[in-house]
Amino acid sequence: MTFTDTLAYAAGSVLGYRARTLLTLLAMGIGVASVVMLTALGEGARHFVTGEFQSLGTHLLIVLPGRSETTGGPPPLLGETPRDLTLEDALAVERSRAIRRVAPIAVGSAGVQYREREREVTVIGTTASFLEVRRMKMARGRFIPGGDPRRASSVCVLGAKLARELFGVEPAVGHWVRIGDRRFRVLGILASEGRSIGLDVEDMVVIPVVSAQALFDTYSLFRVLVEARSEEAIPRARRDIRNIIRERHEGEDDVTVVTQDAVVATFDRIFTALTLTVAGIASISLVVAGILIMNVMLVAVSQRTSEVGLLKALGATSGAVLRVFLAEATILSFIGAAAGVAVGYAAITLVDRAYPVLSLSAPAWAVASAVLVALGAGLVFGVLPARRASKLDPVAALARR
Amino acid sequence: MRVADVSRLAAGAVTAHRVRSLLTALGIAIGIAAVVLLTSIGEGVQRFVLAEFSQFGTNIIAVTPGKTETFGISGAQISNVRPLSLDDATALGRLDPVVAVIPVVQGNAEVESDGRTRRTMILGVGSDLPKVWSMRVSSGRFLPPDNQKAPRAFVVLGSKVRSELFGDRNPLGRRLRVGGNRYRVIGVMESKGQLLGFDLDDAVYVPAGKALELFNRESLMEIDLVYRSGASVDAVRSSIDRVLRARHGSEDFTITTQQQMLDILGSVLDVLTFAVAALGGISLFVGGVGILTIMTIAVRERRAEIGLLRAIGASRGQVLRLFLLESLLLSAAGGVAGLALGLGIALTVSVIAPALPVHPSLEYALLAELLALAIGLAAGVLPARHAAGLQPLEALRAE
Repeated sequence: MTFTDTLAYAAGSVLGYRARTLLTLLAMGIGVASVVMLTALGEGARHFVTGEFQSLGTHLLIVLPGRSETTGGPPPLLGETPRDLTLEDALAVERSRAIRRVAPIAVGSAGVQYREREREVTVIGTTASFLEVRRMKMARGRFIPGGDPRRASSVCVLGAKLARELFGVEPAVGHWVRIGDRRFRVLGILASEGRSIGLDVEDMVVIPVVSAQALFDTYSLFRVLVEARSEEAIPRARRDIRNIIRERHEGEDDVTVVTQDAVVATFDRIFTALTLTVAGIASISLVVAGILIMNVMLVAVSQRTSEVGLLKALGATSGAVLRVFLAEATILSFIGAAAGVAVGYAAITLVDRAYPVLSLSAPAWAVASAVLVALGAGLVFGVLPARRASKLDPVAALARR
Repeated sequence: MRVADVSRLAAGAVTAHRVRSLLTALGIAIGIAAVVLLTSIGEGVQRFVLAEFSQFGTNIIAVTPGKTETFGISGAQISNVRPLSLDDATALGRLDPVVAVIPVVQGNAEVESDGRTRRTMILGVGSDLPKVWSMRVSSGRFLPPDNQKAPRAFVVLGSKVRSELFGDRNPLGRRLRVGGNRYRVIGVMESKGQLLGFDLDDAVYVPAGKALELFNRESLMEIDLVYRSGASVDAVRSSIDRVLRARHGSEDFTITTQQQMLDILGSVLDVLTFAVAALGGISLFVGGVGILTIMTIAVRERRAEIGLLRAIGASRGQVLRLFLLESLLLSAAGGVAGLALGLGIALTVSVIAPALPVHPSLEYALLAELLALAIGLAAGVLPARHAAGLQPLEALRAE
């Protein structure tokens, strides 16, 4: 038998048993489609989170006060150190040539009051460069003006939600609000960009860093955001930060420098591992579908015993018979996989239309490996029935009729 | 036909095609095993996490300054205009159901002794810490109940700090510099291990008043208290609320009960367990399609048999029941095998790697078993209806 004969013969028997072919395809299709969809979901989540991090700013380094020598542990999230990270430290760091901008951050919480309405929110004390470092936009008015960051001034910028809660539909810009026990004039309102990694930018107020330090009666900064000049400058920026701060802190190395990339890479790894796990669990169903193919093929062999006998009597070799049944199993699993990929992509496109934020897309490796596993399962599980068919004795097989 | 007859016929059909039945049941078995194993892992993780949390006891309430939250913690924990003070902690300690209370200030500083230094976590706490965090002192004693405003400069070491700084020598009575100030070591804590990345062994414990001085701040980061077991959480909560409101004039603090945290964590983990179970369920579903396929084939093969049954007086209902029962038998056998397989793997894993949290959950196993039966039933309905609908004459002629 030529190759085309084998294929045509196998295709004929696949088409001959409609109901069982359809059901087998359904089983294989479900498996492949679920692998495709689940990996697309995992990849979508990964892209979403890393994108979210990247939107915080690029080439970003974060300087935290304090350092823990426990390796592998998380950097101290909060906590006080005897030697503060100060505004002067932040300004000194800015002198490095590897660094473009520096935004010192002091954080606290206080009530913001306008007339009789008061709301307790996060207060961020920072400088004019915060807006650029964090890639944020203004909805109305302007941000804290540049100039000497050591000078306190009584101006503030409100988050969108805070402005809405305090002022309702009234214009907020130009009015005075009370933060803690001091009065500040509203310069502008931040554009709402939702919640970005732990900080609700809609529900906060931004004031000059020195004013925040005065408000909370502290000299220490919570964090310093540093933007390096370029991707390549990040290691140098990191070294410079270390050196400058060590010199200023009497030779003691008491800050932690975290690069944005490191954080993103960690999340990347976590999500890739998750996607792989989920894909692995889903591909168990491919094995189950493979077993079904084996079962159906076994039934087919026993039903078509006389047919096999006839083929052999006409001169087909055992190898040819083996190939016919293997081809049948492969065709079943291949069409099933193709249908699964089609259904998976259709579902992804639908979800993508409904929730464009997620930007779902099935990774090529997942689709390829799902199809390969499906084909492999069809082949492996096809071997046993095919061997059984090829070993049939033609005389006995024909005699059963 | 009596029930016994129907069962014997169905069982005969299942055992007649041994390989086929085996493979069909195997499909279901793999699905069930996946569900059982995955839910065991989910359940194990849940127990592990809850145990981690409740090792501090379950009657804990934490009070933190500020109302809103950022970075997962309150911005007010860092700095605020309305501090939570040592006096607040003392006032809460006077409440009736409260057994013990500690103020908490946390920071990071260098500790030094005999030329050896280590940068470590500094916990400014009160004398009741062993009671509140259920920790034990391994040698010496814990901080004495001094006047909170002017405590003596005593320090208690975490077990890791002790071994790093003093090695085998006895640290009791030695002098230790914490952030430049001199303290005397009066005790060493028993090892407690990590809690979510917080290494309580790599820490030193000093009086909260001293820590506030060291870090130059007014406000505590947290007040932790335990209440009498048996007292109602809500009652304790509202009395804390009342006291602090009276002292501060407004509600500028957040009360978190341990029970609340456990509940939230529990429900999150429940959702996770359910999600992995659903993932495993895909395989189960594919196994169901397998039963459907095999039953369809069986009905087609046994048309003559069906025709004969009908010809000698079996009703449609009886034929229907016959095939339904066959499909149920297949899925039930698969379910039992899968349960055994899943539990076997789970047990093996827990024997080989005891560190991995695996805990088979009886409810999920039962649920999976029921699901297998339901799938068998659902997959059997179509072929069985088809069989029941066959005309006896037509069916007989098929031979």
